[in-house]
Amino acid sequence: MDPSVLTTLKILITGESGVGKSSLLLRFTDDTFDNEQAATIGVDFKVKLINIDGNNVKLAIWDTAGQERFRTLTPSYYRNAQGAILVYDVCSRQSFSRLDAWFDELETYATNTNIVKMLIGNKIDKERREVSREEGLKFAKKHSMLFIEASAKTKDGVQMAFEELVQKIIQTPGLWEVDASSQRGMSLSDRTEGGQPWSCSGYCSLV
Amino acid sequence: MEDVLDESISEEDLRKFERRYHDSLTQGTVTQDIQFNYSWALIRSKYQTDIKRGIFLLEDLSKGGNEEGRRDYIYYLAIGNAKIKEYSKALGYTKILLQVEPCNQQVRTLKNVIEKRMEREGLKGIAIIGGAALALGSLIGLGVALARK
Repeated sequence: MDPSVLTTLKILITGESGVGKSSLLLRFTDDTFDNEQAATIGVDFKVKLINIDGNNVKLAIWDTAGQERFRTLTPSYYRNAQGAILVYDVCSRQSFSRLDAWFDELETYATNTNIVKMLIGNKIDKERREVSREEGLKFAKKHSMLFIEASAKTKDGVQMAFEELVQKIIQTPGLWEVDASSQRGMSLSDRTEGGQPWSCSGYCSLV
Repeated sequence: MEDVLDESISEEDLRKFERRYHDSLTQGTVTQDIQFNYSWALIRSKYQTDIKRGIFLLEDLSKGGNEEGRRDYIYYLAIGNAKIKEYSKALGYTKILLQVEPCNQQVRTLKNVIEKRMEREGLKGIAIIGGAALALGSLIGLGVALARK
């Protein structure tokens, strides 16, 4: 593993089928967009290295299928996730109405109680919007989620969404650990003294 | 974790799907979904015997079933076979999927991951042979050194 990586974070993407979860992820990881994006089979996985305030952070991102027949198994992927992205389509009222159920699932299966949650309203490039920005914001506020509107097609908001999520995770004490390989010979006990070992208000470089 | 083949399911979750499958088996109510969910969980196991059982159940499913389901079964057959290092079989399954959907990035990525593993393990083989040659070379060298004495 690259010794300069501060930490590896597990992030999960959920939401109704066809809202653009895979498209958002592919825009972020590969900077590509496919109008004919195929439906995800089960769960897909991508790794992306990003730099947040001078620290390299490795993201292991799980992209779950929204289709009904995969619902039984996807909850098992919530285990140990530090971030969760819930996606809806601003041009689909139905995908917005289903957010409550997705949020319940997240609350039920996430093992990290302080997991950072983000709501993304996708497809803002399209006409005939059915869900206003205010409604999205209201839902996010009610559930203490970060909120952003985006378009995987035009790139709008995509990079920013992932960066904000990672920043918030890094700022959350106890939610993440320094990768063993980046500790460069320092023992774990050296760091755990004095409580809140990994808090560091987020940005200090530990190497 | 570098790719989808490194991931594994928790013991607890695997047991849950196992119970559900066995309960419905004794009641005679196994559906394709129940069998698929259990197979998928088995494929995500750390243990070879579980993965092999998952492959067996998926092969059984892929014989029947609808077109949509078959896509799922074949994808997880590719993952399962790759995890037990049956790489050519695994690649065969990705090829079947790519014939239908040539641009599917999820399948293409899996194909790359499998090819990379094959390459890595192939190179490892060469490295071992290289090491043996080096050892042999030093023995000859030692022999020459001894003969000169």
